[in-house]
Amino acid sequence: MTDEPTHETGVFDDATAMTGTRDVMIEIEHVDKFFGDFQALKDINLKVGAQEVVVVIGPSGSGKSTLIRCINRLEEHDGGRIVVDGTELSNDIRNIQEVRRETGMVFQSFNLFPHLTVLDNITLAPRKVRRMPKAKAEALGMELLEMVKIPEQAGKYPGQMSGGQQQRVAIARALAMNPKVMLFDEPTSALDPEMIGEVLDTMKELARSGMTMIVVTHEMGFAREVADRVVFMADGQIVEVGTPEHFFESPREDRTKLFLSQIL
Amino acid sequence: MSTTRTWLRHNLFRTRRDTVLTVVFGLFALWLLYKTFRFIFITGRWTIIEVNLELLMIGRYPEAHVLRLAVTVVVLALWGGLLAGFIRGRQVRSGRMTAADSRLTRARLTDLVERLWIPLALVLLLLMLTSTPGPWITAALALVAALVGRLVGPFLGRVRLPAFASVAVLIVFAAIPVALYFYVVTAVGFDGWGGFMLNLFLAVCSIILCYPLGVLLALGRRSGLPLVRLVCTTYIELIRGAPLFVLLLLANVALGFFVPDSLAPATSTRAIVVFTFFTAAYMAEIIRGGLQSVPRGQIEAAKAVGLSPIRQTGYIVLPQALRNVIPAQIGQLISLFKDTTLAGIAMGLFELLQVSGAITSQPEFRGQGLIAETLTFAALMFWVVSYTMSRESQRLEKRLGVGVR
Repeated sequence: MTDEPTHETGVFDDATAMTGTRDVMIEIEHVDKFFGDFQALKDINLKVGAQEVVVVIGPSGSGKSTLIRCINRLEEHDGGRIVVDGTELSNDIRNIQEVRRETGMVFQSFNLFPHLTVLDNITLAPRKVRRMPKAKAEALGMELLEMVKIPEQAGKYPGQMSGGQQQRVAIARALAMNPKVMLFDEPTSALDPEMIGEVLDTMKELARSGMTMIVVTHEMGFAREVADRVVFMADGQIVEVGTPEHFFESPREDRTKLFLSQIL
Repeated sequence: MSTTRTWLRHNLFRTRRDTVLTVVFGLFALWLLYKTFRFIFITGRWTIIEVNLELLMIGRYPEAHVLRLAVTVVVLALWGGLLAGFIRGRQVRSGRMTAADSRLTRARLTDLVERLWIPLALVLLLLMLTSTPGPWITAALALVAALVGRLVGPFLGRVRLPAFASVAVLIVFAAIPVALYFYVVTAVGFDGWGGFMLNLFLAVCSIILCYPLGVLLALGRRSGLPLVRLVCTTYIELIRGAPLFVLLLLANVALGFFVPDSLAPATSTRAIVVFTFFTAAYMAEIIRGGLQSVPRGQIEAAKAVGLSPIRQTGYIVLPQALRNVIPAQIGQLISLFKDTTLAGIAMGLFELLQVSGAITSQPEFRGQGLIAETLTFAALMFWVVSYTMSRESQRLEKRLGVGVR
């Protein structure tokens, strides 16, 4: 084992080595998380660089979702430290708000606000948190809806749209705060198969535009195509980290091999 | 014809037992209908209502000042029309409604009449019972005022005013009902109010006051601060454990322990205070149920986009929570409205039920057993208002799209 990441082979000894030379965007050090007696995260170390796309995979219950939910404090970590773009998550509500403003999150079940129109869903946070004037916020909202290719749905309510459309609105809503990091928590798991493609396309476009992304997903095709690094988690630990080529072609750990043999 | 026969056979006469039940209950229903019909159109002696209509409606409000009530009704109609028009205008301005949709068309008017035909019919009935032209003139003017307001309102809603001017307009708008209250109250004092007007006023004031209090209590009961939670929970459980009647009696009697007589508020004011605090406790529990019905994911999404805790509650949680429990809320408010009759019994306020009893002992009606007639009239008044509230709440529920998820 060496301390240096070995880019050539695509194998990383730990998850704090980023691909290429980058500024650090997210730093996770020795993070533990307990739900009662159950330890959901065990000594997690992970660094994510600016503009890097990290895909987290693993069996259910492995702590993937818990990990990214800790990054914007939807879950509170019990040990270690998490720093997002220079701001450490502490019990200080101002720090938490600061981090949440800089990170967008997309949920498995969309969680759009059902009582607001699509455009209001997108413009609410910029207007209330960033104090953007209404007209400007709506122009931004329409721009984002163009980007996710559903500008004609602006006046509808979430309940009137398909799952794929809702999830694209959710992405637009997260982007409206102009975040530095986007977190995706199984964004396609609740979708009908024919709608998965449209959401993944939006995410690919986002990745190409240089967004820093952490994506928890079961879409291996997406991981192969878009990820800079793939992180494999099991039982609350990071088991293996690698570039997609290496990870899918020649995994090192037995646990990884077993998982891949089960899903591929 | 054959479809009617099939329907009858299918629903009423399918088996021998069905047939027996249909005949028995059918006869019973016919008998009830006959009795009711007979009471209303033949045996009922409604002169007592006709003679005492003014007393039933406005109590002992002095004859010399009745004009104030007429003015109030007309101004309120104008106010309501303006408000409705104003809201439409704002909706057009913000693009939520097209200008064509906002126009007051004939279809819209017929729709409105269809919606409110029961209270309108009651008003018409009351007008027919009057012996003076005053109420007719008032009603006609009120109708015109409402229409004018509705037509002018949209223009007010469409103009863009600087911030301070819109605040000023808002204040003036909110001040109008308050000013009207003082206009009406200076003639006799609040305790001089009576009749159905008093029931309505007690209910409207208590509803307006108890609602925000109920929301605060519900939020307080779920607060993260233990002391706030304790205070709210204690309050809710204490109030809900006491009968409303007892609280009204206490407000009448026990206030003297704390406040000198000269400073004690009017009896009607005390009644409003009791109704407000009482209903707020119930509203709090209903709203708490609504808060619990909002999925966790909603709060998480609100947090994730960076909304502060207060904004999470104000923009995301509360609107959904309140919408989810509209039926229970309206039920509680209807209950409050009907409970205003208790203020008559417990505190001696001269509200509709008290008037209904009192007029049966007037010299010309004494000993004639007319209480059935006056109580029927009182019940009709309460029913029409309660039923209208219920229907309008169903409409509101539909418009806010409960169940559209």
